[in-house]
Amino acid sequence: MFGLIARSIIHRPVRNGALILAFAFIAASLFSGHYLLAGASDCVKSEIAKLGADIIVVPQDYTADSEAVLLRGEPSTFFFNNSVVPQIINVSGVEQVEPQIFIATLTASCCSLPVQLIAIDPTQDFTITPWLEANQLKPLGQDEIIVGNKIVAGVGSNLTFYGHTFRVVGKLDPTGTGLDTSIFLRTADAYTMADESKENAIKPLVLSRGVVSAVLVRVNDAAEVTNVSYRIVDRVPGTRVLTSSALVSTVSDQLAGITQILDLSALVATLISLPLIALISLMVVNERRREIGVLRALGATRTMIFRLIIWESVIIAAIGGILGIASSWIVLMLFQSYIAEVTRIPLSMPVVSSLVSISAITFIVTVAVGGIAALYPAVRSALMEPYEAIRSGEL
Amino acid sequence: MIEARGLVKSYHDGEREVRPLDGVDFICEKGEFILIVGRSGSGKTTFLNVLGGLTRPTTGSVHIVGKDILALSDAESSALRSRTIGFVFQFPGLLSTLSARENVALSAEIAGTSAGKSVSAERAQDLLVRVGLREKVDSPPSHLSGGELKRTAIARALMNSPSLILADEPTADLDVDTEQEVMELFREINCEGTTIIMVTHNIDLASYASRVVRMEKGKLVPVG
Repeated sequence: MFGLIARSIIHRPVRNGALILAFAFIAASLFSGHYLLAGASDCVKSEIAKLGADIIVVPQDYTADSEAVLLRGEPSTFFFNNSVVPQIINVSGVEQVEPQIFIATLTASCCSLPVQLIAIDPTQDFTITPWLEANQLKPLGQDEIIVGNKIVAGVGSNLTFYGHTFRVVGKLDPTGTGLDTSIFLRTADAYTMADESKENAIKPLVLSRGVVSAVLVRVNDAAEVTNVSYRIVDRVPGTRVLTSSALVSTVSDQLAGITQILDLSALVATLISLPLIALISLMVVNERRREIGVLRALGATRTMIFRLIIWESVIIAAIGGILGIASSWIVLMLFQSYIAEVTRIPLSMPVVSSLVSISAITFIVTVAVGGIAALYPAVRSALMEPYEAIRSGEL
Repeated sequence: MIEARGLVKSYHDGEREVRPLDGVDFICEKGEFILIVGRSGSGKTTFLNVLGGLTRPTTGSVHIVGKDILALSDAESSALRSRTIGFVFQFPGLLSTLSARENVALSAEIAGTSAGKSVSAERAQDLLVRVGLREKVDSPPSHLSGGELKRTAIARALMNSPSLILADEPTADLDVDTEQEVMELFREINCEGTTIIMVTHNIDLASYASRVVRMEKGKLVPVG
């Protein structure tokens, strides 16, 4: 039977080609929306994991700036008093904390490029130090920096910020998030840079001792991240907490418009295509009345005829689905950076499990549309009386 | 082999009632070659299709090899058509997407015979050789002449070794020589024990048949 279906599909290349394109469009719209959502969500989760923190505590009034730094790498400078650090340590369930200072560099001659500087204390750090150890690199020394993957500076080169020159000693792996455009340095060097900036920089960097921008928190295994988050906000006034799920939710909100448009276009394409595909299938069935009649005369049962029509449509839908998924995947991979830039969301290729489930769901939906569209023509063909079909049709 | 009783087939064409079959009684013994002649519109094609289970009569009964075909389920009547009956239509009825061999083998595929694809293809080829189409086994229907198409259709009808062949005007549109070749083929098949019921408007073919009946206004009448 499948040989017969294959020949029939090949025999009508223009019409079946158009049907395949319609199914490909439905699949591409569905796949793209969910790829973007999963890509952004997986990207954020991976960033939080890379930072090694369960919770990031930031100043209450700078929640949006903090998200911009973490998600998009938009440079920003903000602080709160480091007196929050011992308060956070004392919250039940907190295992380890790491204060960080965020400094935006300038678009001026005193700075090589406008980026986000993140100052860390190597004695408390659990973000960069494990990465250095894993890559068999020494701990950060004086005036040494680690750069994000998108920073155009190779290991061994020098970069100047606020008139202070640093040497690049390492480059992070790509993350698709704000980390890619961030630079890590020691807190001690950040203070030196701030002191020297009064003389060396066009605009001095005001960095008081005793301030931090964010506190990364690790929760002990027995504690619930959500509960610890509530306790921190409750016990440390003036703070907000960012968690993996909260950041994913922020990104999902940002993406909602795009995914809704893509889902809507898939729905519209389906609603428009479904009757059209059904009509085309019906036309094909009408043209093939005599063929159906002959097959019935040769002994094909009603069920066989029903399956023949359904399978043909399902196979066309499956080809369209595979084409749609493959082509949109290629386009999304090629233009990933551009899409991330335009939509201002962190984006990476979704993890394999997400990719497999998105592809499978898209494929199943597309094939189901094909099956549903062929349902009426298939029933009609199956119920056709062989003699009538033979008499009225053409071969 | 076949027994039809009181067959009536009627339908309405607007206000007018049309009766292509109007009380037909018919018996065909195993191994007969029956020619049903009659003018166009006399009801002979309708009768053949009722015998083959391709359309249902309004009233009456049809028994083939002891089975009441009107009481059979779709699966049972389909199985009867694929294993017991071979059809040859007025038009060749070949699928344009398949080669001559594939068209012939299609009957076995539909019947779901236990023999493998290669065995079916081999038998299809043998049948095409038998009907004189050795050189055309892989040709698509568009590359075959009218006579070759008819012979391919006959080969297809023989594919599942049916005990009965129902042929509707198989020599229509053929030249005299080709008509003779096709009829010789039917005679040969009949001599091997296959029952044949053929509908034609050409009384000159009567010499090939063991019995000739005439269909007139939906009724069967014996000839001479």
